[in-house]
Amino acid sequence: MTNLKRHLRSGAALIVAAGTVFGASACGLGGDSSASSSASGSDTVNIGVIYPKTGQYAEYGKLFEEGFNLAIEKVNADGGVQGKKLGLKYFDTQSDAKQDAAVAPKLVADKSIIAVVGDYASPASSAASPIFQQAGLVHYGFNNSAPTFTDTGDHVWTPQIGQDKYQQANADIVAKKAKKISVVYIENDWGKQAYEYFKEAAAKNGTEIVYQSSYLADSTDLSPILIPARDAKPDAVVDIGYGPDGALVLNTLRDKLGYTGQYFGGQETKEFLDLAGDNANGTIITGSFSATGTKDAKAKEFVKDFKAKYGNNPGNFEVTAYQAIIDLAHAANSTDATRKGIQKALKTVTDFPLYQGNGGTFKFNQSTRRADNIDPILLIVKDGKFEQYEG
Amino acid sequence: MIDTLFSGLIHGSAYALVAVGMSLIFGVTNVANFAQGSIVAVGIMVAWWLGSSLGWGILPTVLVVIVVTGLLGLLMNTAVIAPLEGRKPIAALLATIGIGQILDNGLQLIFGPQTRPFPKLLPTYNLQLFDVRFGTSDVVMVLLTALLMLALWAFLKYGKTGQAIRATSQDPEAARQMGIPVKSIRNISFVIGSVLAGISGIFVGLFNANINPMNGGSIGMTAFVAATIGGLGSIPGAVVGGLVLGVVESLGISWLGDGAHDLITFGALLIILIIKPQGLLGPKTDVKSEPLTGTFLGGGRPITLPWWGNAALAALLLATPFFFSDYLAGVGTQVAIYAIAAVGLTLISGSAGQTILGMAGPLAAGAYASAILTTQLHWPFLAALPAAGIVAAIAASILTFPVWKLSGHYVAIATIGVGAVMVAIIRLWEPLTKGSLGIQGIPFPTIFGQVLYTQQMQYLLDIVVLLLALLVVMRIRSSHLGRVFEAVGSDQEAAQALSVRSSAYKSLAYALAAFFTGLAGALLAHQYTYIDPTIFTSSASVLILTIIVLGGMNSPLGAVLGSIILIGGPELLRIVPDARIIVYGLLLVLIILFRPQGLFARKG
Repeated sequence: MTNLKRHLRSGAALIVAAGTVFGASACGLGGDSSASSSASGSDTVNIGVIYPKTGQYAEYGKLFEEGFNLAIEKVNADGGVQGKKLGLKYFDTQSDAKQDAAVAPKLVADKSIIAVVGDYASPASSAASPIFQQAGLVHYGFNNSAPTFTDTGDHVWTPQIGQDKYQQANADIVAKKAKKISVVYIENDWGKQAYEYFKEAAAKNGTEIVYQSSYLADSTDLSPILIPARDAKPDAVVDIGYGPDGALVLNTLRDKLGYTGQYFGGQETKEFLDLAGDNANGTIITGSFSATGTKDAKAKEFVKDFKAKYGNNPGNFEVTAYQAIIDLAHAANSTDATRKGIQKALKTVTDFPLYQGNGGTFKFNQSTRRADNIDPILLIVKDGKFEQYEG
Repeated sequence: MIDTLFSGLIHGSAYALVAVGMSLIFGVTNVANFAQGSIVAVGIMVAWWLGSSLGWGILPTVLVVIVVTGLLGLLMNTAVIAPLEGRKPIAALLATIGIGQILDNGLQLIFGPQTRPFPKLLPTYNLQLFDVRFGTSDVVMVLLTALLMLALWAFLKYGKTGQAIRATSQDPEAARQMGIPVKSIRNISFVIGSVLAGISGIFVGLFNANINPMNGGSIGMTAFVAATIGGLGSIPGAVVGGLVLGVVESLGISWLGDGAHDLITFGALLIILIIKPQGLLGPKTDVKSEPLTGTFLGGGRPITLPWWGNAALAALLLATPFFFSDYLAGVGTQVAIYAIAAVGLTLISGSAGQTILGMAGPLAAGAYASAILTTQLHWPFLAALPAAGIVAAIAASILTFPVWKLSGHYVAIATIGVGAVMVAIIRLWEPLTKGSLGIQGIPFPTIFGQVLYTQQMQYLLDIVVLLLALLVVMRIRSSHLGRVFEAVGSDQEAAQALSVRSSAYKSLAYALAAFFTGLAGALLAHQYTYIDPTIFTSSASVLILTIIVLGGMNSPLGAVLGSIILIGGPELLRIVPDARIIVYGLLLVLIILFRPQGLFARKG
């Protein structure tokens, strides 16, 4: 008897389950974008931000946030986009690929989002790109300079200066100061590619690389590679990396190994200057922005506003974040404040406001979807501050 | 050469100082404390704040750090570790992972995320030898390490409390009958261990010079490796292990470059474990209690559903892609993929009773195998997927092969090394894997000509693979083979006596687990379309293990439930963005406290 009951019950369960499958299959596997309608008539459109608010990259997330928030104030003070208010929707990903992949559809489903900016690191950004590409939503990877970043599709863009151009400038200034150099670089997708370009340019310039090694981002003692780097008796040591590791290389060389020669490396951030202290003086880096050296009128105004709001000068991360929002607002105002409008603008508009380099405007190279005419600039540390350097 | 050696010795003494605390806790409480590194970070950050913001000197700073970390150790033991007493030690291990997450993210929230210079509480570069400068700080650090080692040794050997600590660690029941207040002894051990971590934090801060609130994880991991090399539980061993690791790293990196850093560190760990499993100075006799092994077998049995219940759940799961939104389906893909990665572990860690801490290795191997087969050899996805599983199983089996002759917790530790070495090899094998550059442009999965381009389609594929994996794993568990796995896990000696070759069966169970994890890796690669070695970190390994512990070590369905909570959790917690990861850690600890046998298991 109980057996029969059980079978009846299980049969019923199966039927219900099967019913659910077929009933639901009407909705299909096509995804939200194919089913739902376009943006509603709300008076706010948003830019979605995927970024590391927490986790190991949280420092950069904080710098981005400062740039974004200032830019949004500016855009709305100037009348918003096409009469609508522009807003930001923040999504913390810790710059972790699996969280990027998980959250990306949420941005796609939110019809008020007309473009996406971020993430900090390329692997995380790239895990989200296919989802935005599929949905026809522009993914503006303003911090992703990896050479293959835009390969995912025609909706993936970055205004970052290509590393080929950047490292050419870097190698040129190195060649002016040194014949023999030791080079260390960070072991990740960015560092590896940047070093390849640097090596090529250095060879062309006739600069001899007498020692080279990569290092892992979380290494805390770099003496094993910096001792041979010093003992190779180079005219200069070049580091291709970020701020904290750049400071570690520099401090190890100066404090621990007694190296006194020229140093190229580090990052245009307050963090780097704090960490390196007096050692930083005389350090030359190839950058894209100088808060004190910029001659561009709108960039000067940006520096002034930034300082008024946050109490310090903006660095490279803050300016690229700021510019990303300004550029997307410019795109929306040139066409439509919609997903399609942004994509169309990136393809056709040729005068995006440029705050980096020498200022002015820039346009996109339509085959690489990268910024075409941004020039790197040189910076030198004097009295604990970055100044523009003419070489 | 001599300068490289010398700088390695200095770095090694920083490792040694942390390893001593690690080894002490492990030796006397049998808890592998994964929060130890985070307590070091607490020491670093408190000292940073006192030294730089308040301008305090070294002595008051040390005192405050002792008080803070001591209280923290007491709190940790009374609130979390002690209530888990009598449970298998792995519950405590996982609770410490949760605590570590709370501490790391709490520090970041309190002190801000940036890397900052550590205050020069002692002169750091005022002396010079062999063309390498060092400081009073390094000298004090070396002296302190030696002093602490001697003091601890004397305390444990001759002190009344010390003897009680040792008695408690050997047999808590007998100790209790002899009138030793086991509870307070455990508290004292944890306080001592935490204070050691705090003090070492000050010197690690001085040595590293640049510090960050998130440094705890890697400090803890390296110290654990150092302690194992020296011999877990041996205080002089921890010192020797730290120094040896410092010198080996220094010479190895000087020779191969710092890109090979992980390969050198974890390769050294593996070599030591294979040649001398008990470590350089470890006790000759093997540790009888196996702190990192053990299942919840004794404490819990998996909840099993009748066949129609399973069928209904399967049907329901298959239906979800058809009505999930993009976002839900996107989260679903990650939940399903990590459930696939974890479900095979129920065979090796659940049934066969062998904790595996290096599943990031097979995950990476599967992802890279499928990515290379489809992009370079143009295999169809349906052929590349099973091939990825097989490659992962073979690669994991070969690298783990020498490890099976070890016993108990040494295998678990060795698998940490195997996982890290696999990823390191992928990073260095540039002609095939493109190393750090990563592989871009991996195609979306294609099934019979249909490109799976929406979240729902990929989610459906993941669900189908998950159901197949569940089916296979459940079948194996109820087959003869499954019974043998369980025999090995319940009582290895008895199984051996019945002429079951336990290591061969463990190896087989591990290969099966690696196969499924490899499938999961392939699915990830084809969804992300881009992979590089930074995706497959040791925290991915810990995550995969945590999933089955949370669900119930023995329960394949529990793996699904565990994945829903651990992968879906951070998404659900987006309502509290600032404290997202802290709340997540807190949840983990609470679940382990209130359902230590796992969610989908009942108490036995």
